[in-house]
Amino acid sequence: MKFRRDAVADNTANETREEVREIAEALSLYRSAMQHIAEREAARPLTPGLAQTIADRRPARTIPFGLLLAPALTAAVVAAVLVPVYGHFHHQHGAPPAPIVIAAQQNPNDTHAAVDDTALMNQIDSEVSEDVPDALRPLADLSDQTTTTSAVSEKNNATQE
Amino acid sequence: MEEIATTRASMLSGGSGAGNELAIEKREQAMLELADFDEVVRVYRPRILRFLLSSLTDRDAAESLTQECFMKAWSARHQFRGDSSLSTWLTRIAVNLMRDHLRSRSLRFWQKTRGTSLDVMDISDWVPDGRGTPESLAVARDRVAAVWEAVRDLSAQQRTVFVLRFVEELELDEIAVTIGMNLSTVKSHLYRALAIIRERMGGAK
Repeated sequence: MKFRRDAVADNTANETREEVREIAEALSLYRSAMQHIAEREAARPLTPGLAQTIADRRPARTIPFGLLLAPALTAAVVAAVLVPVYGHFHHQHGAPPAPIVIAAQQNPNDTHAAVDDTALMNQIDSEVSEDVPDALRPLADLSDQTTTTSAVSEKNNATQE
Repeated sequence: MEEIATTRASMLSGGSGAGNELAIEKREQAMLELADFDEVVRVYRPRILRFLLSSLTDRDAAESLTQECFMKAWSARHQFRGDSSLSTWLTRIAVNLMRDHLRSRSLRFWQKTRGTSLDVMDISDWVPDGRGTPESLAVARDRVAAVWEAVRDLSAQQRTVFVLRFVEELELDEIAVTIGMNLSTVKSHLYRALAIIRERMGGAK
């Protein structure tokens, strides 16, 4: 009885050992297969040198960020500095000369206009103060006489009343 | 080089002894190794690619993440202090990248299409022919295919632990450091993964 139990135990142990051996062998073959496949894949050329790839990719990662930000920041700074400066200079130095120029341009016109006006006034004065033309002289006398006559007659009427 | 000298000075001022000297030498070795990055890529790329290929079973994703892994390592090389080996450090970066990749939407798309995924035939074809009979070769291929299918059905964490143990042949404590898990959690994942594979292998017989 004891012999039979030992035999069963031995069989079980042998089966287990055999199973373990098979699994170990399968795992060894699996490892060997994976190593061969990895070697085959690794034999394919890597993109031109990893260090070169790194050197190529490092600026590629930073440049877009810099390309986007640097010009925008530069433009913003330049605009922030130049616009007030330009406005300041435009206000201080740029604006006054223009009125001066305009004034300089307008002064001759004004003088010319003033001269013209003076001449015109002188002309008008001379013409107004000019003696009554001869052709109109009798009318002027008549006018004076009529005025005097009417004043006398009005005075007479008042006396009679 | 200046960093190495600084590290050595700070470590020597902090303690003494043969163990400390050994740790310093290991760190210096790792940092010197990292100084020649082309050599780092040449030596460790197959290993990282193998890990990612075994975990993701997708050629393009594995290749892409491998390159990304070395890009990150290059960017963060000044942060590497040699506390772990260079291999562990790179594998940790790869594990983190893979986690992000698995979470991303793009993976869901690739999971549907699987345009560049490895096929079981790719795996079983690599079984060496140095076996006695065609029957034994066929049996071996069937076993590898069964393991392959079982690994694909593991959860992400189980698969990572399994690959690190049985493909990369890391020790359990190295796996724990690499993926940032407790040793007991690593053991638990590995136990479950092996149980699933054993079950599949029994079915495949």
